[in-house]
Amino acid sequence: MAIHRTPLVVGAIVGIPLIVFLALGFRHDPNVIESPLLGKPAPSFVLRDFDGGAVDFASLRGQPVVLNFWASWCQPCVAEHPLLVEAARRYAGEVHFIGVVPTEDTADAVERFTRHLGKWGPAYHDADGKVSIAYGVFKLPETYFVASDGTIVHKVAGPLDRRTLEQSLEALL
Amino acid sequence: MMSHFGQGLVLLALLLCAIGSPIGFAAGRMGSERGLAWTRRIALGFAATMLLANVLMEVALLRHDFSVSYVAQVGSLATPPVITAVSLWSSLEGSILFWGLVLGLYTAGVAVLQRRGHEDYLAYTLATMLAVGLFFSFLIAGPANPFAPTPPPVPVDGPGPNPLLQNHVLMIIHPPMLYLGYVGMTVPFAMAVAALLRGQLGPTWLQPLRNWLLVPTGFLTAGIMLGGWWSYEVLGWGGYWAWDPVENASFLPWLTGIAALHSAVVLERKGTLKAWTVVLVLITFLLTILGTFLTRSGVVNSVHSFTQSPIGPAFLAFLALALLFVVVLLSLRVDKLVGDPARETLVAREGAFFVNNLLLVAVMFTVLIGTLHPVFAESIRGVKVSVGEPYFNRMAVPLFLSLLLLIGVGPALPWGTSDRRQVRRALLAPLPAAAAALAVALALGARSGGVLLTCAFAGYALWVTADQGSRAARRRAKKGETVARAARTAILRAPRRLGAYVVHFGVIVTFVAVAVSSTFQTEREGTLAPGQALEIEGYALRLTGVAGVQQPHRFQQRADVALFRGGRQVGTLAPALNIYPTQMDPLATPAVRTGLTHDLYLTLMGVGADGSIGLRAIVTPGVMWIWAGVLVMVAGTALCLVPPRRAMALVEAPRTQTARAAAARVSLGSGGPVGAAGGVGAAASPAAGAPARGAPRPRS
Repeated sequence: MAIHRTPLVVGAIVGIPLIVFLALGFRHDPNVIESPLLGKPAPSFVLRDFDGGAVDFASLRGQPVVLNFWASWCQPCVAEHPLLVEAARRYAGEVHFIGVVPTEDTADAVERFTRHLGKWGPAYHDADGKVSIAYGVFKLPETYFVASDGTIVHKVAGPLDRRTLEQSLEALL
Repeated sequence: MMSHFGQGLVLLALLLCAIGSPIGFAAGRMGSERGLAWTRRIALGFAATMLLANVLMEVALLRHDFSVSYVAQVGSLATPPVITAVSLWSSLEGSILFWGLVLGLYTAGVAVLQRRGHEDYLAYTLATMLAVGLFFSFLIAGPANPFAPTPPPVPVDGPGPNPLLQNHVLMIIHPPMLYLGYVGMTVPFAMAVAALLRGQLGPTWLQPLRNWLLVPTGFLTAGIMLGGWWSYEVLGWGGYWAWDPVENASFLPWLTGIAALHSAVVLERKGTLKAWTVVLVLITFLLTILGTFLTRSGVVNSVHSFTQSPIGPAFLAFLALALLFVVVLLSLRVDKLVGDPARETLVAREGAFFVNNLLLVAVMFTVLIGTLHPVFAESIRGVKVSVGEPYFNRMAVPLFLSLLLLIGVGPALPWGTSDRRQVRRALLAPLPAAAAALAVALALGARSGGVLLTCAFAGYALWVTADQGSRAARRRAKKGETVARAARTAILRAPRRLGAYVVHFGVIVTFVAVAVSSTFQTEREGTLAPGQALEIEGYALRLTGVAGVQQPHRFQQRADVALFRGGRQVGTLAPALNIYPTQMDPLATPAVRTGLTHDLYLTLMGVGADGSIGLRAIVTPGVMWIWAGVLVMVAGTALCLVPPRRAMALVEAPRTQTARAAAARVSLGSGGPVGAAGGVGAAASPAAGAPARGAPRPRS
C-alpha cells in the first residue's frame, strides 16, 4: 500500500505544535488573576459566628492564619473540607484556621454541614458581604494564607488539594 | 438508587460502543450483511441507552434528588421547573450527557434513514460513529460522571444553575441547537472515513453526505445566531458578537462545513475536488472537537468556559488521536481520491466555488490563530494576552467582503466556459444593481467605506440571487403557466437549488445588517433621578419609578422608563438588575425595544439609595435584520433538504446515457455499481441546479 507523505508532513507540522501548545495550556488557568492583595496586609474585620462568638481579625496577628471562604451549598467546599479538618488538627496551636461563610448562608445549613463533615474551625458569617468584597472573593471556595505579621502570602482559588495546602502551610511557618 | 441506575446505563452505552465499533469495522471490511445488521442493532441500542440515561437525569433534576451529584450541583428548590429541566445542559457533566444523547440520536438516525442507498458505506459509518460514542460514553462514565452519588451529607437544597443561564428564555434553545450542529458533524466525518476506508466516493455516498452536512450546518447556523441574540438580550453590553474564544469555536466548523457543502457541488457536477471535499469534512469534525476542548478544558478565558476540569486532558487526547487517525488514513488512502484532471478555466462557476472555499478556509485560519494565540502566548512566554475585535475585524472583514462579492459573481458565471463574451455579459449585467444599492446607501447618509462597499456588493449579489433563483419559474411562466403555478413547480422540482438561493439571500441581508449595526451605533450614559430624562437619537427616556420585587429564585430591582419621541410617549421599558443568592454581583437584564429600522437598548447600571439610577442607552440600527437574515438562512437550509419531486423515479434506475455518464463522473476507482441511486441531483448550492438526470440541462 502506497503511503503519501503530504498528509503526514502537513499533519505533523500543524498537529504536533497544536497539541503540544494546548497541552502546555493546562499549566496555566486563564481565569486565575493574581490577587492584588498578595504581599500586602490582610484587610481587617470583625465578624460574628452563628453561636454568638466573634472574631477581631487584627487580634490574631502574631500567629499565621488560614482564612477560608466557603458555603454550605458549595460542592468543591465539601471536597476540600476533610483536608482542612486534618490540617487544623495537625497545626493546632501553630496556625489559626478561620472560616467565613457568605451572606446567604444560614445557621441550620452550616450546622448540618459541619455535623456531617467535621469542624476545622469557627465559621463566621459575612452578613453584609463586606469582608468578601474586601478580599475580592470571586467564587467559592477561596483560601488566603496570612503570615504572622498579617501579610497575605498566598491565595488559592477553588478547592485546595493536599499538596498545595501542605506547601502553603509550610511556607507560613 | 438513581445514581446506580444512571451509572449502569452509561456503562451499558460504553459497552455497546466498545462492541459495536469493531463489529462495524469488521463488517465493512468483509462486506458482511450480518455484521452490518448487528452494527445497526447496536447503534440503536446505544441511542436507546443514552435516551434513557438523559430521561433519568431529567427525572432526578425535576424531583430535586440531591443524592445525584449533578442535581446537587445545579439544582435548587426555588428554580422554576422549566429552568430546572434545561439545567441538564447548564453545567459540564450534564452537557456531556446531553451530548451523548444527541450523538445517540444521530447514530440511530443514520442507522434507520440510510439503511437503503448507503449500504456500501453504512457499516464503516456506524462503526466510526460508535467509536466517537465510545469516547463520550467514557467521559460520562468517568471524568464527567453526572450520576456520581453526592458525598454525604446530602444537601436539602442546592445553588441552582448559573444565574446567566436563568436570565433568558433563549438559553432553553441556544445550547441544544449548537449541540445538534456540533455533534451532527460526526455524521459527515464518519461518512468521509467510510469513503476513505472503501476507497470510493460513489453517488450513494455523495447525496447522504450532502444531506448530513446540511442538517448540522443548519443547526449550527441557528445555534450561533441564537447565541448572539442571547448575548444581546442578556449580557447588557449592547452587542451580539465579541469574537469570544467560544463563539469563535462554534464559528470555525461552520466555516469549513459551508466550504465542504460548496465543494461537494463541484464534486457532483465536475467530478473534481474529491480529496479537498473529504479533507474539509474531516477538518470540520476535528474543529468541533477542538471547539469543545476550548469550551470545556478551561484553557481559554471566556464567558462560556467551564473551569479547568479532568475532561480537558481526555478531550485533548481524543483530539490528538482523531488527528493522528485522520492523517494516517489520508496518507494511506488519498490516492483513491485523486480526481479527474482539472478541465475548466478558473473564470467559470467551478472556479468561483474554489475561490469561495479558499476564502472560507482563510477566514477559518484567521479566526483560529486569533483564538489560540492567548493560549500559545501563555504556554510559551507565560504572559496573559487577549486578542480582541480590532484583530478579527481587520483580518476577517476584507475576507467576508470578498465572500459577499462571490455570492454574486459565482452564480452569475456559467459552468465550465471559457467564452469571454459570455463571462463578461454575465458579470456586467448586475452592475446597475450594485450602483443603485450604493446610491441608496449614500442617500441614507452612509459615508463609511466598509458600509458602502458592503451595500454595493450586496446589491450585486441580490440581483444575481433574484435572477438565478427565479429563472426556472420565469421560463415556465413564459411558456404560458401562471406565475403561481410556475413558481410552485420550480420549487418542487428543484427545492435544493431554490433553498440555496434563499440561504444566499439570508446571508446578504445578514451581511448588510451587521455592517450597518456595527458602524452606526450611538450610546449615552447618565444618572437619572425620578422624573429626569436622558436624550438619545430623538428619544427622551424619563425615569418614572424604581421597584424591587422578590421572586422565588432572585431579587429584582426594576427601573420603569417612559419613552418619548417628538413630545409623545411611544412606550415604556423596564431594564432590571437581578440579584441571585449565589452570585456576588447583580446581573443586568437589559430592556430592548426592537423596531424595523433600529433598536433602543437600555441597561440599568445601578440603583442609588435615593431612588436615582445609572442608565445606559444604546441605539443600534438594523439589528432585527441580522436575526431575520439568519432565520432566512435556516429556512433555506431546510428547503435544501426537501427531496426533489422528480427524483424518486430516478432513484430506481437512471435509464439514459446522460444519467449514467453523470453518475459515473462521481464514482471512483473500480468501485461498485454507481447507478443505484443515480446521484440524484441536488446540492446545497445554487450552482447545483438540479434538473433531473437525463433531462436537458438549461444553460445558466
